Amino acid sequence: MAFVKRNVRWQPILVVLLVAALLLVALDQRGSGPITAVKRVAREVISPVQNGVNSVFNPVRDLFDGVINYGQLRDRNLDLKRKNEVLQGKLLRERAVGSKVGELEKLLDLPTFEDATGVAARVVGGSPSNFERTVSINKGTSSGIQVGQPVVAGAGLVGKVTAVSRTVSTVTLINSSGFGVGVRLENSNEQGIAEGKSGENQMKLSFLTDVKIVVKKGELTFTSATTDAVFPPDIPVARVVSSQKLAGALEPTVILEPVVNLDDLTYVKVLR
Amino acid sequence: MMQRRLRVLLLVFSLVILQTTIFTHLHVFGAIPDLLLVATVAVAYNEGPQTGALFGFFSGLVLDLFLVSPFGLSAISNSVTGWAIGTFQAGMAFQTRRTQVFLAALGGVIGGTVFMVVGGVVGVAGYLSLYSVQVIVAGSIWDAVVSVPIFMFVHWALMTEHLRRY
Repeated sequence: MAFVKRNVRWQPILVVLLVAALLLVALDQRGSGPITAVKRVAREVISPVQNGVNSVFNPVRDLFDGVINYGQLRDRNLDLKRKNEVLQGKLLRERAVGSKVGELEKLLDLPTFEDATGVAARVVGGSPSNFERTVSINKGTSSGIQVGQPVVAGAGLVGKVTAVSRTVSTVTLINSSGFGVGVRLENSNEQGIAEGKSGENQMKLSFLTDVKIVVKKGELTFTSATTDAVFPPDIPVARVVSSQKLAGALEPTVILEPVVNLDDLTYVKVLR
Repeated sequence: MMQRRLRVLLLVFSLVILQTTIFTHLHVFGAIPDLLLVATVAVAYNEGPQTGALFGFFSGLVLDLFLVSPFGLSAISNSVTGWAIGTFQAGMAFQTRRTQVFLAALGGVIGGTVFMVVGGVVGVAGYLSLYSVQVIVAGSIWDAVVSVPIFMFVHWALMTEHLRRY
């Protein structure tokens, strides 16, 4: 490849475009209504085509996944059967305790995860950008979904709805950087914030109410019951992977792993 | 002229559909290709920095409609990439198919870096991180991989001869 020297002249048009784009960024950051409305219309216009492409592509993808990952799928199936048997037993043992808890919740009139009605939706795509952790689901405002609603899968919390059109919604996952969930620890009930770590599936637990608390590996975290919380209380969020207190640190560094495999979502439930 | 505009609209529409459907499943090392960014590189390669910047701006805005990140961020990164690649390729004495692949990867690095830095500056959490650098590198390799068909598509849309100036 050969190069010739040439004077690079600054293009005034680039300056105009950059200023215009920065203005749009600033408007969007302030929550501009027109931009949100334009985004919603664009998603609605394009969603039938997206659904069509997905309906053609998804079976092909599933077929390839099935063929390529046959061994893994067989092992996972056996593992799930074993776990199912263990859980059935545990469920029976906890039934007695559960009925007492239910009675107490009714007496105190506490809202619970099970009280929330939900809309089941299929995950139809991931993020079209390399810099955000989102998934698209095949339900939107026509099914009663609104921005801000929590999204769960069988095992626990997945994220919340951050954009919505008539038939498609975007869900930002809990392990997105900048995403925080108010949680309580399973054993101590201490509260903190579980935050996404940039580019990692894991999360970090911080702002603990008691910084001297001992956090055990494997301990679960649940959404906490706080006033004006986005999420209903007691949804499983993540499991403690490690906890260590570094010299000079005020609080322990607690790393969490979401209980739901966020890289392999097929169906989710949007809570209303 | 009218036919060319329609073809460019079809190009952008098709790439947005592909970017928001099939390619969202094709993560490798956490990255997917940025089809509209590669198309911006191809336009800048054919038409120069000014048209490259304009195409990048509008194609970036279209992509921003489907992202959660601030509206206008892709417009900034794509227009800077279009201008930079248009300027860079104008200084080359001859160009081959390998040049296109190289420019697509270079465009991926420029676009990704601008997106990361501007996103971080305007306050989007987590953009300024080592992971973002990994994603930019993986994404630029992806961009190089998809560059040949996208360059052909852009040549068709712009109604320019395929692989000019060997």
